[in-house]
Amino acid sequence: MINENSTIQFLLNDKQVSINYNQVNNFSPTTTVLQYLRNLPQTKGTKEGCAEGDCGACSVVIVSLNVENKLEYKAYDSCLLFLPMLHGKQLITVEYLKSKNELHAVQQAMVDTDGSQCGFCTPGFIMSLFALYKNSKNPSREEIDDALTGNLCRCTGYRPIIDAAIKSCSNHRQDHISENEFEVIEQLQKINQLKETNSFFTATQKYHKPHALADALKLKFSFPQALVVSGATDVALRVTKKHELLTEIIDISGVEELKNRIEENDRIYFGAGLNLEDVRLKTENSLPALHKMLNVFGSRQIRNRGTLGGNVANASPIGDMPPVLMAHNASVILESIYGKRELKLTEFITGYRTTQLKPTEIITGIKIPKPDKNIILQSYKISKRKDLDISTVSAGFSLQLNNESIVVDIKMYYGGMAATTKEPLQTKQFLIGKKWERKTIEEAMQLIDQEFTPISDARSGAEARKIMARNLLLKFWTETKIK
Amino acid sequence: MLPHESATLHVTGEAVYIDDIPTSEQLLHGRVVYSPHAHAKIKSFDLEEAKKVDGVFAVLCYKDIPGHNDMGPVFKDEPVLASDTVNCVGQAIFLIAAENETIARQAEKLIKIEYEILEPILTIEQAIKKNSKLQPSRKIECGNIEKGFKEAKHIIEGELRTGAQEHWYLETQTCLCIPGEGNEITAYSSTQHPSETQAIIAEVLHIPKHEVEVQIRRMGGAFGGKETQANHTAAWAALLCKATNRPVKIRLFRDDDQKITGKRHPFLFKYKVGFDDDGIITAIDEEQNTDGGCATDLSMAILERAMMHADNSYFIPNMKIIGHAWKTNLPSNTAFRGFGGPQGVACMETIIDRIARYLKKDAAEIRFKNFYKISDRNTTPYGQLVEQNRLYLLWDQFYESSEYSIRRKAINEFNNKNEFYKKGLALTPVKFGISFTTSFLNQAGALVNVYKDGTVLVNHGGTEMGQGIHSKIQQIAAWEFGVSTDRIKVNATNTSKVPNTSATAASSGTDLNGMAVKNAIDTLKKRIAAVVGNEFRKKYDGEKTTRDEHIRFENDFLFDQDHQERKIKFEDAISIAYLQQTSLSATGFYKTPDIYFDREKGKGKPYHYFAFGMAITEVLLDTLTGHHQIVRADILHDVGESINPRIDIGQIEGAYIQGVGWCTTEECKWDAKGNLLNHSPDTYKIPNVQDIPKDFRVQLLKGASNHNTIRKSKAVGEPPFMLAMSCWLAIKDAISAIGNHKLEPDFSLPATNEVMLLSIDKIKLQLLY
Repeated sequence: MINENSTIQFLLNDKQVSINYNQVNNFSPTTTVLQYLRNLPQTKGTKEGCAEGDCGACSVVIVSLNVENKLEYKAYDSCLLFLPMLHGKQLITVEYLKSKNELHAVQQAMVDTDGSQCGFCTPGFIMSLFALYKNSKNPSREEIDDALTGNLCRCTGYRPIIDAAIKSCSNHRQDHISENEFEVIEQLQKINQLKETNSFFTATQKYHKPHALADALKLKFSFPQALVVSGATDVALRVTKKHELLTEIIDISGVEELKNRIEENDRIYFGAGLNLEDVRLKTENSLPALHKMLNVFGSRQIRNRGTLGGNVANASPIGDMPPVLMAHNASVILESIYGKRELKLTEFITGYRTTQLKPTEIITGIKIPKPDKNIILQSYKISKRKDLDISTVSAGFSLQLNNESIVVDIKMYYGGMAATTKEPLQTKQFLIGKKWERKTIEEAMQLIDQEFTPISDARSGAEARKIMARNLLLKFWTETKIK
Repeated sequence: MLPHESATLHVTGEAVYIDDIPTSEQLLHGRVVYSPHAHAKIKSFDLEEAKKVDGVFAVLCYKDIPGHNDMGPVFKDEPVLASDTVNCVGQAIFLIAAENETIARQAEKLIKIEYEILEPILTIEQAIKKNSKLQPSRKIECGNIEKGFKEAKHIIEGELRTGAQEHWYLETQTCLCIPGEGNEITAYSSTQHPSETQAIIAEVLHIPKHEVEVQIRRMGGAFGGKETQANHTAAWAALLCKATNRPVKIRLFRDDDQKITGKRHPFLFKYKVGFDDDGIITAIDEEQNTDGGCATDLSMAILERAMMHADNSYFIPNMKIIGHAWKTNLPSNTAFRGFGGPQGVACMETIIDRIARYLKKDAAEIRFKNFYKISDRNTTPYGQLVEQNRLYLLWDQFYESSEYSIRRKAINEFNNKNEFYKKGLALTPVKFGISFTTSFLNQAGALVNVYKDGTVLVNHGGTEMGQGIHSKIQQIAAWEFGVSTDRIKVNATNTSKVPNTSATAASSGTDLNGMAVKNAIDTLKKRIAAVVGNEFRKKYDGEKTTRDEHIRFENDFLFDQDHQERKIKFEDAISIAYLQQTSLSATGFYKTPDIYFDREKGKGKPYHYFAFGMAITEVLLDTLTGHHQIVRADILHDVGESINPRIDIGQIEGAYIQGVGWCTTEECKWDAKGNLLNHSPDTYKIPNVQDIPKDFRVQLLKGASNHNTIRKSKAVGEPPFMLAMSCWLAIKDAISAIGNHKLEPDFSLPATNEVMLLSIDKIKLQLLY
């Protein structure tokens, strides 16, 4: 089952690269792509700004073959990628964009609009712009803002960079990268022919990269202590910031079976390996409250990697997805070689970063009931900075009213108010059977205040958190009241 | 107009920063081991186990410093490595040089150290209580405040807090040191002040300055954070380099950089203001308390500038400003764009804002009434006349174009109709003094070389941190020589080319270095003109002779302005000059004329001139979440005659947004033990692309050329930072609308959503009772 071929292969710009972990001693399976690039003499354009996916200075574009054998270009933070994640892909760095002596359209636009000052963040912006250029013609301001949310600039104030996006993406031309696509497809197909699990063993680390769910489950059975990663947007920080040695890893990002979205009769199934950006794009109409939360979830680079399964598995009290998923009454599908089970998300998460996941299990999917027409669902997130910030307080609400505006049922899940996502049960009980009116809400706000004892931390003091929690209920009311 | 001279290198990733410089295999990784305690005695330590680790080449403590164990820039109160006590979390104690980072970390874990924890001072209040001062307090006074308060019809008192701000330059502190022969050492340091970096390295290593060469091509942002504190990383790298005799690089990891380095000074202001029924101020009594951290660094100069900007743009006939710099157990706070100015201005603008609310008048009107006048009411509290006052020019062009009064009306209507969303509007001006207030620093040097092919290499003392100084210098040199810019290259800043330079700071880089470059070029032009004059006289032997001083340099040619057919290509002229044994290399020098300041008296003319600007910001506030959006921002800013409008607009927009960050989302919090809580971008939030005004209108003031500066221009780096006051006060205006502008909202800086929500909650409670 395990192909102990410890060699990863990928394209670095136009050159095929093989790294055999048994033969190199300067890289480990958890060496990040950024560390790798910074160690090469010719790829110093990619910069380290924070090593935690918050600044985008290390942004690169990774090109993958999709199921239709077409190339997809996406921007990622290279500081959050382990090298084996590149296997079978093309890694494009800023150095590759210029052809001969001609700047790429996004580069020329950045020069023309004065998009760089100190220039340190610029290569990262160039790569985000390049991904945007590859994926949209005439993007809207919202789309541009979203594509650039994951890149921080301390000099310009962003206006000229937005102008560069407008300028380059509205005047779309074939670039030299498209001209080479045919060859790239061939090369990637060749690398991807082998669908066996790649396992990289070094003296201190085991890194498994299965391609089939069955293989992943078998690995988890054989290595129950192994850390399962897919996007690794959170786990990577244990390497880059805490300098932990992760000894056993099962990387399921190559398992295509985990990337399905299936509409069942009354539920929508999302594979746990679907990245959050794909989920965001597929939920605008079907699950607007979930979509709204995803609009302010991390950045494009983070959502391109991070998965729904990962956010749930984290069981963080300030994770963006649990409150809205709980309001949706979502379930988690867990699988092991013994079989499958389904748990309500509310039961799955048991406490501060703890879940019911067994060592041999992998989260394979999330099931969300299709919202009933009579149920109003909404999500809110309050953070210090509106975008690319972790919640200070978040909430997912679900409300059912009868014809007389009496609350038949309400769910109100809060993040950031306790050690885990929490519902203020007394408030909930109080609201059920009451008229959905200002007076009721104001009384409920007093109750919420008593039910929570949040902490003070870097994001906010406890008192403001309490105000936020009760204000979100009021806000929900203002958006649902019958006029 | 040209873009930034490095723009093409930036966008291709080819621009070289310190960490990108190719190095040999001998390079060692330098690591700083710092204090986990805010205040403690070091009882004992043992480095032996750490030294034994394979791949470790040096583990140093204070005893291993060959020279002075001090890296303070002005006051010598800042040890390079702690000896008996540590005074903040993040203070360096040991240095490690190892083959790589992993080995260095491994060695760090083996260092044994025992502390005796002492009680730290972590707030301004605690410092006041213990009278823990960095240096003697300062005073600036004018008129007679007792008299001024007697004349006042109304008196308001209050307090204002402004917070720390992390520089968040994208490139963290970095230095690469390479040993030479004998005592020689070359430091590639991401520094705004190469001469001081050179001096500190020399003092720490106990070698003469001529052995130390410091070079910087460009920084990945600095904003004041690399004015003195780049010296620290450089001193540490130099010590390891000398100890191992191998190249050593230290690049601080982001979290370490945020923990170790100082920030913008937090201030606590206490003020009392007297004014009449029209809102005209008669007196202000102001106390400024700043948290300087554990060492003096530049705190006194920063406090001085805060005190000198306590007036902002307003004439205060009777004013007393007392300034205290308090010593606490936090990393030493340091220079940051505006250098105390923004803090001083924040207090003054709060005072105006409060007067307006008190009198139920529009704040813009109160501002206008108190502006410095042209021929009287134009002396600052420190005695300098406000000359070339641009406030009225700005106001006249701006008040109408920004539709202030129309929007004020529309906003009032919006606020009356909406309970949970409120809009706010504010207009704020800035007047910012240009020059180092330590007068002797206002000097600059240049070295200009012309090569035989007619290309020019310009060396000057200014450093490039994104502000485009090299672009402007390149343009100045091209203009002065009358040649195209592609002939001119501006060299990396290097202490062996131009010595004894001042920091590139106080927005003065182009003003000072541009003049020095011009001075050098004037010398060269005289020499070249003499050669060409001779040639013309030889060639065109006639009645009318060519006069050297009438030879002009234009369009890559030299010609006789009296006989325009007498003409020679620039490169041909250079070639002849060389053959005629003419020196084609010249130094230039400049010092700002007629400035002085007497610190004892608190009087003088510290500034060469003032830069002015005005901004109006409109915000939409969700009063339930504390999220705000800048709906529109208008800026009109005075840069004299712009050398490069593209660069100047970039400076203005960037400064405004950085100021918005300081005023809104950028917050530093420390725990009860003095640990910084927001030590990474995970919790420290600078503005991102979504936070900028949806409608952003920035213009340069036209028809306001400056006197006696390089090409009649004005400095631009810092002044527009303070225009963000309009955003901060627009948010306050929106909060104030909840109480129909009858209640004074609690407000501080930054106005995070936490601050806003607490303030809103208090107003709502007051409205209930």
